[in-house]
Amino acid sequence: MKVNIILFGQLTDITGADTVTLENILDTDNLVSTLHKSYPAFIHSKYVIAVDKKVISENTPLLNNCTVALLPPFSGG
Amino acid sequence: MTDRKPKNIFVAGPIAPAFIGESIGHHASKTNIGGHSIFLGQVRADMINDQPVKAIEYSTYEAMALEKMHEIREAIFSKYALTCMHVYHSLGRVGAGEISLFVFTSSAHRKAAMDACAETVERIKSELPVWGKELFDNESYQWKENK
Repeated sequence: MKVNIILFGQLTDITGADTVTLENILDTDNLVSTLHKSYPAFIHSKYVIAVDKKVISENTPLLNNCTVALLPPFSGG
Repeated sequence: MTDRKPKNIFVAGPIAPAFIGESIGHHASKTNIGGHSIFLGQVRADMINDQPVKAIEYSTYEAMALEKMHEIREAIFSKYALTCMHVYHSLGRVGAGEISLFVFTSSAHRKAAMDACAETVERIKSELPVWGKELFDNESYQWKENK
């Protein structure tokens, strides 16, 4: 399955873009390992994963058309 | 449940001092209010590697931020006896010395407004998906970290 990932903050410096599409992704663990192969700088980056705007804390299956966002530490205010 | 709906909190660029004054004025007709509490976040010209921060450029994951702000607002209203709450956060470029966050709470008696304002500011800082990029004179930048 094709997954579109949206990136924010310092993570966009790694990819040079604010969206990345990965192929053959089934779940979030799978997504992270694929991301690490394509962009090794992610291994040392701090971020949380949100699936459909909810932050997840364990491996989560990804459905078609879901929105995955990678969120580095927040710095608003 | 209440009838409060997710509101847009984001404004392009800095929050004008005149806008803050007008917001206070709008409460003159709400005579059940006895106290307001206001927090204003201002962009600080931190020195980083001998370079002063000239501005912060804010970005957000807007759909998630507005849902989260709605959740925070609901939680604050159920915890404190507030009359009203207004929150504005800048997006885009805000120069050093300009205002980037405006939190305004009102209640019949001061304590609810003051405590609600403080808690809302803390929750915005830690829970809203907003990022600040600190810009320097020489076109370089670094991503801000909240302390």
